Amino acid sequence: MFLTRSEYDRGVNTFSPEGRLFQVEYAIEAIKLGSTAIGIQTNEGVVLAVEKRVTSPLIEPSSIEKILEVDNHIGCAMSGLIADSRTLIDKARVEAQNHWFTFNEKMSVESVTQAVSNIALQFGDDDADPGVMSRPFGVALLFAGIDDKGPQLYHIDPSGTFIQYDAKAIGSGSEGAQQALQEVYHKSITLKEACKASLTILKQVMEEKLNSTNVEMATVTPEKMFHVCTKEELEEVIKDI
Amino acid sequence: MDILQINQTSDYKKAGPLQAHFNPYSYNGGTVLAIAGENFSVIASDTRLSEGFSIHTRENPKTYKLTDTTVLGACGFHGDVLTLTKVLDARLKIYEQDHHKQMTTGAVAAMLSTMLYHRRFFPYYVYNIVAGLDDEGKGCVYSFDPVGSYEREAYRAGGSASAMLQPLLDNQIGFKNQQGVTRIPLSREKAVNLVKDVFISAAERDIYTGDSILINVITKDGVTDERFPLRRD
Amino acid sequence: MATAPLFRTEFWRNGPQPGSIYNFPGGKTKPDLNPMKRTMNPTVTGTSVLGLKFKDGVVISADKLGSYGSLARYRDLTRVMKINDTTILGSSGDYADFQFLTNLIQERVIEEECLNDGFGYTPLRLFSWLTRVLYNRRSNFNPLWNTYIVGGLQDGEPFLGYVDKIGTAYQAPTVASGYGAYIAQPLLREAFENNPNMSLEEAAKTIDRCMKILFYRDARSLNKYDLAIVTKDGVEIKSSIVSETNWEISDFVKGYE
Repeated sequence: MFLTRSEYDRGVNTFSPEGRLFQVEYAIEAIKLGSTAIGIQTNEGVVLAVEKRVTSPLIEPSSIEKILEVDNHIGCAMSGLIADSRTLIDKARVEAQNHWFTFNEKMSVESVTQAVSNIALQFGDDDADPGVMSRPFGVALLFAGIDDKGPQLYHIDPSGTFIQYDAKAIGSGSEGAQQALQEVYHKSITLKEACKASLTILKQVMEEKLNSTNVEMATVTPEKMFHVCTKEELEEVIKDI
Repeated sequence: MDILQINQTSDYKKAGPLQAHFNPYSYNGGTVLAIAGENFSVIASDTRLSEGFSIHTRENPKTYKLTDTTVLGACGFHGDVLTLTKVLDARLKIYEQDHHKQMTTGAVAAMLSTMLYHRRFFPYYVYNIVAGLDDEGKGCVYSFDPVGSYEREAYRAGGSASAMLQPLLDNQIGFKNQQGVTRIPLSREKAVNLVKDVFISAAERDIYTGDSILINVITKDGVTDERFPLRRD
Repeated sequence: MATAPLFRTEFWRNGPQPGSIYNFPGGKTKPDLNPMKRTMNPTVTGTSVLGLKFKDGVVISADKLGSYGSLARYRDLTRVMKINDTTILGSSGDYADFQFLTNLIQERVIEEECLNDGFGYTPLRLFSWLTRVLYNRRSNFNPLWNTYIVGGLQDGEPFLGYVDKIGTAYQAPTVASGYGAYIAQPLLREAFENNPNMSLEEAAKTIDRCMKILFYRDARSLNKYDLAIVTKDGVEIKSSIVSETNWEISDFVKGYE
């Protein structure tokens, strides 16, 4: 597939004659190897759901964390090279706290996403910010949060592009999942329906059989803000699927 | 001014012309006053800019419009006031471009506090009062010391005649030292008239307050300007 | 000047004086610091500069004396300068610092003229730039020991501004630095309030009267001064104007001889 590109995929910042940055494109391909993650925005809040690949019975499932808190009002789900996400999440957390420190208000979801996108783009820079690597990040993120504009969902990929979505799937099952999301999503979907839909879709695209230990789900609502669902809450949803 | 003084305790004293010591600060006077009402706030300042016994100009208002709902009153050392307001304007613009919205009065106040504290060991010699509307549309006033300590209040006077104005406001708006008084909410007209009255009194006694006042009233419809003459001596 | 602080000269109650360091209670009373090596003092100085707006433009005047302390050291210094056809500048205080800034400005004016893009210093641009330069120098404890008066035509309107060595800056229709602030400023204000639309002749006459009174009362002044004029026709600098003085009444002053 990539045979003809070999000359222009060495330097991370070298354009090919067709005007493409292959390393960035490869990084976007890397995301498609990751576990599936889904985000759905509703009027009542946003839901994030991810698949955990528990590849061995000796793995402690709770040590696989793919949904993290950025601030009280913002959560983040990820897919791809999870280790790469650490610096990005750190950046998001620091920016959110810095904003609160300086302005005494919550940082908007868009601004947090923008801040992360800024370092995602700096790969290969000689004098870049701390935490920036010599290659593009191999991870895609879904930022879910609530701000002045209400519940919001943002997606950011290794090229630093960030786009707002009503519903978005990333990772290995993203193609099928995105198709399924398009069918199930409507503007007046409730949060409960969205939670159920996200797990239903995950179940369809996962290789393993879905249960309360191999998925993770979190919601961001005006009542509870960022909240990671407990095992009991997960089982409550799973039993209806 | 300890750190600026040449140490003359050595065995011999330096001969030659007298050393003129450099003082990076000066005091240019001026008074600001802000009152928060139910759905408005009033902020006023005199327009005199002085130094020692000289008046630099009679036409220098000390209120600065920051956003559609926020006005800053700043006095003290005018060089720092100019610099601070310029940096503030730049920060406001950057915020607006970064976050696609105007800063709220509360956010302006929080940011100003961090800006002042960043200069903790070479402070902006400026007394700041921020007036505006809060997120619910209620009038709000924030007062600061020169190194960034701040709090939200119902009314506050700052600057050269603050010690004369504040007790009057305590009595008239805070109903302090009054007995059996009915606490009626302050109307916009009463607030503006009170501002004029207390400034007239301040101009009688404080040589750094006078010439005229600029009164800004902030409502959801915007900021209005009103000028009122004071004694010019 | 009053030596005792008139009003709040400390940052907060029981706080330090502006420019000093706060001492924590119970600690050492005086910070153990070396003296500032950059404390400087003016050497050759110029006295007052006056500025006045009139109907068609602005005039700025400064006498030609360069004092070395109380010694009248130089008698033919120029303290007003033309920046371009719409901008003039006057300076009091340290003459060396003025020369340094003159060189800096002229360098920049030439650079801008070479670009030939129609942009150059306007009075407001020069004024804002000067304010920043002087404020930054004072913030680094390395001030330019001058007060500058900027005059000119800004978008066809008269402009007059004042900036001092610590970055205090303002615009006004009449400005005066040094002793001029005490002696000439009230006269200039009176003249301006009585006639805000003076002709050039009236403005020049007002300035001449003020310069003469300053010569009578300011011991560091000279009765020979330069007058810079900006109108829409450009800049004219009238050099070495000599005020006619009259000392007849001096015989009646006790102790004069």
